[in-house]
Amino acid sequence: MDLIIGGAYQGKREYAMSRFALGEKDIFICRGDGEPDWSARCIAGLESFALRCVREGVDPVELFRAHERQWENSVLICEDIFCGVVPLGAENRAWREAAGRLCAYLASQADSVTRMFCGLAGRLK
Amino acid sequence: MTVFISGGVKSGKSSLAQRCALRLAGGGKRYYVATMLPSDDEDRARIRRHVADRAGMGFETLEVPRRVEDCLSLGDHRGTFLVDSVTALLLNEMYPDGAVEADTGAARRCAEGLLKVAMDAGNAVFVSDYIYSDAIKYDAFTERYRADLASIDRALAAACDTVLELCAGCVTVHKGVWGE
Repeated sequence: MDLIIGGAYQGKREYAMSRFALGEKDIFICRGDGEPDWSARCIAGLESFALRCVREGVDPVELFRAHERQWENSVLICEDIFCGVVPLGAENRAWREAAGRLCAYLASQADSVTRMFCGLAGRLK
Repeated sequence: MTVFISGGVKSGKSSLAQRCALRLAGGGKRYYVATMLPSDDEDRARIRRHVADRAGMGFETLEVPRRVEDCLSLGDHRGTFLVDSVTALLLNEMYPDGAVEADTGAARRCAEGLLKVAMDAGNAVFVSDYIYSDAIKYDAFTERYRADLASIDRALAAACDTVLELCAGCVTVHKGVWGE
């Protein structure tokens, strides 16, 4: 599995498409409702998936663990939402923490971790 | 040579950009392209701080809050231009003269002007702000501004020879070479 993280609008999906020769149809984008399509070659918007988990009271790391055979060769994309001021609302705080824990878990399992900065890829792992 | 610098607030971007522009200029002409339109005392104090910071460095200041490419004709285009900042330029282009509605062509114009500076200037250093990594759902105007600024950042990062990220005064090189 290859993990790509980076701030908003930094070119994460575009990079994934070019590096892994993906088309739009290969990418499942989490919109904050329902399960991701675990069979997709690329799952993007994991921060939205984490928000949905918080709202439904489930642990995103546990959900990912339960499906690990399905994403072990996938490309996963998460927005870096971790550098701002502590958010005011309790839900936003829980969201940020859940997404952060998910990223740390996925990074530990990943073959490669890439961080996007202004459209440029930097290898973290 | 062209250099793009971004990073968080107060991370030392402006000061690094000044040192960088000085070095690129050698003994040649160097221009500080001032982009901020001050709106209150806080802005004016900030400008005074920046002016004091670069005193004695031999920069000629060009006030270009919009149409950044005009700096090339206001100075000698073969010189070294320090553009600080992309963030302010976009804001000025989006809301000219106190406009309430954002000008939707602003980002494209801004990017074209900046790329022209990158192409035609002897040397250029661009400073932007990295505002993309917090967990806040912004209103549509702010979100639009973030998306537009990021699109300009990506275009500049692709065009420039060197791309640097600053954090607490420390440099990460994302592209090209850098050494002080």
